[in-house]
Amino acid sequence: MIATWYGIVSFMLIAYVALDGRNFGIGMLQAIVARTAEERRLVIAAIGPLWSWHEVWLVGFGGTLLAVFPRIIASAFAGYYLALFLILWSLILRGISLELGGHINDHLWQSFWGFVFVVSNLLLATLFGVAAGNLMRGVPLDANGNFSLAFFTDFRVRGDVGLLDWYTVSIAAFTVLMLAAHGATYLTLKTEGAVHDRSAAWAKLLWAAVVPLFIAISLESSFVRPDLFAHAIHNPICWLGLLLLVVSIVTLISGLSTRNEKRAFVASNFLLGSILATGAGTIFPVMLYSTLNPEDSLTAYSAAASRDSLLIAFVWWPIAFVLATAYALFISRRYPGKVSVKRDTQGVY
Amino acid sequence: MASNLSDPAFWSRLQFAFTITYHYLFPQLTMGLVWFLVYWKWRALRTGEERYNKAVRFWAKIFGLNFAVGVVTGIPMEFQFGTNWSGFSRYAAGVIGQTLAMEGMFAFFLESAFIGALIWGEKRLGPSLHFVAAVAVALGSWLSGFFILVTNAFMQHPVGYKVEPGGSLGIASLSGYLLNPWAFVEFAHNQMAALVTGSFVVASVGAFYTLRERDREQAKLYLNAGTCVALVASLLVAFPTGDQQAKMVGKHQPVTLAAMEGKFHGGSIAGVAIVGQPNVAARRLDNPMEFPGALSFLAYGHFGSYVRGLDEFPESTWPDNVELLYYSFHLMITLGTLFIVLMALANFQNWRGRLQSCSWLLWVLMLAFPFPYIANILGWMTAELGRQPWLIYGIFQTHDGYSKVVSGGNVVFTLIGCVGLYFVLGVLFLCLVGREIALGPDPVVTSKSKERELVFAET
Repeated sequence: MIATWYGIVSFMLIAYVALDGRNFGIGMLQAIVARTAEERRLVIAAIGPLWSWHEVWLVGFGGTLLAVFPRIIASAFAGYYLALFLILWSLILRGISLELGGHINDHLWQSFWGFVFVVSNLLLATLFGVAAGNLMRGVPLDANGNFSLAFFTDFRVRGDVGLLDWYTVSIAAFTVLMLAAHGATYLTLKTEGAVHDRSAAWAKLLWAAVVPLFIAISLESSFVRPDLFAHAIHNPICWLGLLLLVVSIVTLISGLSTRNEKRAFVASNFLLGSILATGAGTIFPVMLYSTLNPEDSLTAYSAAASRDSLLIAFVWWPIAFVLATAYALFISRRYPGKVSVKRDTQGVY
Repeated sequence: MASNLSDPAFWSRLQFAFTITYHYLFPQLTMGLVWFLVYWKWRALRTGEERYNKAVRFWAKIFGLNFAVGVVTGIPMEFQFGTNWSGFSRYAAGVIGQTLAMEGMFAFFLESAFIGALIWGEKRLGPSLHFVAAVAVALGSWLSGFFILVTNAFMQHPVGYKVEPGGSLGIASLSGYLLNPWAFVEFAHNQMAALVTGSFVVASVGAFYTLRERDREQAKLYLNAGTCVALVASLLVAFPTGDQQAKMVGKHQPVTLAAMEGKFHGGSIAGVAIVGQPNVAARRLDNPMEFPGALSFLAYGHFGSYVRGLDEFPESTWPDNVELLYYSFHLMITLGTLFIVLMALANFQNWRGRLQSCSWLLWVLMLAFPFPYIANILGWMTAELGRQPWLIYGIFQTHDGYSKVVSGGNVVFTLIGCVGLYFVLGVLFLCLVGREIALGPDPVVTSKSKERELVFAET
């Protein structure tokens, strides 16, 4: 039961990263692939009517985590206090730049919000990368399940660590590149013209840059948490994740080289998902690893709500999930194919 | 406790109070306004008259701005359960986590899937599906309100829970928890109040256009619908929902009722104070003007009923700011009464066909729109201040709920950040809504709005 719930919340987080991560990528790339006001509008239009639905995966993940692993929320959210508020403020800026930017047809107004949009997306990709790095490396959790994380301490990865150190910063760099590549793959699928051509070129370039960084962070992870790899060998989920990763890479390469844009984008989602799933499988059952004393780590088993609460959530969650997916499919079927500025611009241009 | 400025709990309370108050300025309008969109969209489908579509397009833009600010200021609310109130989360998430998760999974996904289509998707969806989108957003926003009010009702009147072996709370009966009688009364009262805000805003814009002698057809539509819904909703807020809510407080939180009314001493034939300032140190209401027996009647159904005073409860269980609670409650009641009077008058004049020409009443209607916002916030202040010193009434104190590992310095820092960011948001919001109202439902073709006209012409 508890392992299933660990799987479900991991899935929700993966869905969030794949869906909203693509918007972070598009947001960062807007600075590069769009050069005129019209091209910027096209990029925004490609994000589509469902960006708010994508963002809700984060809220759904947070709510579900609170219901089934309340002690994780209590420890981690208070511990990551400053980092979380930076994420919240960046989400606010990202949301309003998207919603308000189109309200006035004026180039000063729009270039200002375009700038805010790019910066907030870059910040979000970086911060979520730092958060992922912290999850792998661990946090200074004490015996009572509490910790409080400074922005940085001595940039080392053991003992009294901070939010930023050489390891978490490199994971953040990897995340930024990877989400940019993911966004470029999607823009290639949804746009035409100059934006399409630039996106296609950037997608190839960015994916090529992701590979050496992925090898680098894998080596770094084995140095930071040597125990993880010994543990992962015995976990079939990790092997499955690796298999999926290999298949996605092959599919992505074939999609990019044969210009099968849909195939490339599907593969890009699975690639992202398989990396995260392998990561989630590797750390299981530990959800918050203590860098001070591994004995004090919070596991899925010690952090879960009571059996009754888990059972109750198990009844309603699948219904809600099916409904949520149905709504999005219903809407996205009305927005097939490439977007056009004329039809899909959000705002009063 | 609340007066100690070096106490981190005080700053977490202030931050939550600020962020939730600010946030709730937006959903109260969207939850009310959304039914106007549904109604006009439905009329447009039935009659094929373009004026209804025009009204939907105009109000959808104002709705969209409100929705956007509501969403971005709403996400921090959920996160603060963990960041600032981890003691509360650790203790009660087994119960409240269920409804917060349900809100995200059932309500937010529904709302967020259809909101983009409602605001920008008329061309893509076609008229019938556009109507479906409006209904979906309406249901999603009310469902979200329901789950939040179940959560709040548990904090006001905990039912359906049990204490787990580890000392934290778990659900004993899901139906008991979801069907909390407090939740139904609170939901009905709150949703009617949201309709009051929505309808006052619609009527206010209608009055403005009428006074300006522009967009006459649209102005009439807004005035008719706005004043009519406002009268019905204002009546329903007071009776039966407000009345039932007060009885609920009298039954389950008698000390709160005493503080709300500034009743320091118990007695029969207890009156409702119309004027008076609570003097906590002297244990009395200064300069009181009371309506005798009214409180006894309203709370317990008989003019002679005994209403307990604050002196019958230990001072440690008193709400920790009696004065603010007293004024919140009384100002809310005063405003609610004035709403009924104003809207009864407006509907009477409209029935006689004189509203369009009654300029002083139009002025009042135009300027009245901020007051439902104030009344809504005062109502929530009454509920939340009245619950103190408890976070979950009778079982868990507010002071045990905040995050002990987060320093006061960090909370002050994030509070400053939130105030700054929300201030900018507020200025932007007011400018953009003002601009949309100035442009109006039927923007004239100028060089700047020419393209905009073309976009509409395509539909």
